[in-house]
Amino acid sequence: MSRRHPPDSDPLWADLPAEEPASSGVKRAAPPDWALPSWDSFDESAPAAPARPPRRDSLIPLEADDEAENEVTPASAPVSAPAPAAPPEVVPAQPVFELRILGVSEVTRAVRDAVRSEPALRDVWVEGEVGRVTVSSAGHCYFTLKDERSQLACVFFRDDRVSSPFEPRTGLRVVAHGRVDLFESQGVYQLYVTAIQPAGFGDLALRFEALKAKLTAEGVFDSSRKRPLPPRPQVIGVATSATGAVWHDICHVISRRWPLARVVLSPCAVQGEGSAASVVAALNRLGRWGEQLRAAGRPDEAPAVVILARGGGSLEDLWSFNDERVVRAIVAHPVPVVSGVGHEVDVTLADFAADVRAPTPSAAAELVVPDRVEAAATLAAFGRRAGTRTLTAMAGFRAELTAESRALERLHPAAQLAQARERSGYLLDRATRIVGDGIERRRTRESALWARLGPMIETRLGTARSAIERSSASLAALGPQATLDRGYAIVRRAADGSVVRDPADAPVGDLLAIRVAAGEMSARVAGKDGTAPGHGGNPAKNPRRKDPV
Amino acid sequence: MNAEPGSMPAVDIASLSFDEALLELQRTVADLEQGGLPLERSIALYERGVALHERCAALLSQAELRVQKLVERSSGALEAVDLRSGDASEQE
Repeated sequence: MSRRHPPDSDPLWADLPAEEPASSGVKRAAPPDWALPSWDSFDESAPAAPARPPRRDSLIPLEADDEAENEVTPASAPVSAPAPAAPPEVVPAQPVFELRILGVSEVTRAVRDAVRSEPALRDVWVEGEVGRVTVSSAGHCYFTLKDERSQLACVFFRDDRVSSPFEPRTGLRVVAHGRVDLFESQGVYQLYVTAIQPAGFGDLALRFEALKAKLTAEGVFDSSRKRPLPPRPQVIGVATSATGAVWHDICHVISRRWPLARVVLSPCAVQGEGSAASVVAALNRLGRWGEQLRAAGRPDEAPAVVILARGGGSLEDLWSFNDERVVRAIVAHPVPVVSGVGHEVDVTLADFAADVRAPTPSAAAELVVPDRVEAAATLAAFGRRAGTRTLTAMAGFRAELTAESRALERLHPAAQLAQARERSGYLLDRATRIVGDGIERRRTRESALWARLGPMIETRLGTARSAIERSSASLAALGPQATLDRGYAIVRRAADGSVVRDPADAPVGDLLAIRVAAGEMSARVAGKDGTAPGHGGNPAKNPRRKDPV
Repeated sequence: MNAEPGSMPAVDIASLSFDEALLELQRTVADLEQGGLPLERSIALYERGVALHERCAALLSQAELRVQKLVERSSGALEAVDLRSGDASEQE
């Protein structure tokens, strides 16, 4: 230790090493007479040291410097290693010569070094009750942790504090994590807190999560179960503590926003033993009351919505709102329940179960009622609409009236007569025009047709004529005339005109008509070839001539 | 206010609650907006609308919150008794 002191700080100290090289100069003399009282006071505190937790011993190695003989414990070893060597040398034996007066900063620094070199103090978890809490303007939080016997100054710096979900509040039992260090300018040691959480948190948090999981699995928190809030409840039930600010705040908010309502308190205990049952009873009373009123035919007087509220507090304080019975009473409540439990950061199972969760009791009150200022604006809008509509309607009526009076004028007899005359004249005009137009149109069409038809007929006739000429020419070529011209004759029976091709066709004595080129003549069959050859003078009787064509 | 068949009976407006008056006002405006009403009826509706509007506005501005506490009688019947506003600590 001594080597940390500046060599020039004290000449008395400086010669120590020379005097006691074996003990590394740690052993120092007893104080001078004038200094005794204060050194005595150290001595008095020394016996108390062993009573402290063992690791604290290392906090006071400097005190131990001159009382190492009392502190036989080796706990001071890490700081002043040579100390164990001291006891045998029994300090009182060599008191006076090693006196050295230290500066305050020296002592402080030595304590600081001692504290810092103690690994057990670099990373500690400390449980205790929060005493006084002060937050500086810079946002650092200073508080004490205490148990029945001791206090520990703690500092929670702003950066750590703002990122922490939990704030130290007086009276809470907390577990703080940090390191112990010395604040030199004040000469106090402090716990520099890096994290803080409520004591017993682990246990409660586990129970919370387990119950939450169970109820979630059951569907208790399903959003499909959430009921809409009535827009303008006439009666609002409030389950909260009859004492305390919450009830007052709720009344205040509702009275400001919607004084048309009626709020009915159903008082209950909101913390401590039996509070869960009390909350359930309060909710049930409201439910039962509503049923009674509805059964009595006065449903308007029954609560239309219920607020379940409680001010902020520790996790334990709010614990009854994590009770399964409370959750089920909320879900089973006949009208929608709005929860406003604790502060914004506090979330309880009651909040999950509620039809609407408000961050605070006042927010819950705001949620259940409309704002009368907004309502007044809406009303005014309605009023304007009614006015506008009426004006529009009246304008409509006026227009209709004008239209009707015009119609009336039109119906006057003279007007009607004139109108009829005008109308009939017009009709006549139209008819004449239509008929005339029709005739003219037809005439034009016919003359056009005729004009086209004349040439067409001419052409047709010419074509036919030439066709006939061509036909008679061919007929002439194909007919018997040419054959007759060449000297042939056609022989027919006069009786039936049939052409005689075989002598057998014409019996003897039959009258025949013979046609030759220039005309016809009659003949009588005189006989057949061979039978009447003498009669063969008739050329027509020549068989060769009889099968001409 | 002549009550036409099919319209709401002309209740005394002063006895209406806010909700009742608002509901009727809404209906009145809707009727007016639908149009096709006889002139006399239109004007009657409009006048009633104005009165309803005044009733609502008056209720809004004059209402005073009624604060009560639910108490259980020995018979088991529940009853709401008036409290002074915001104060429930009496007989707690």
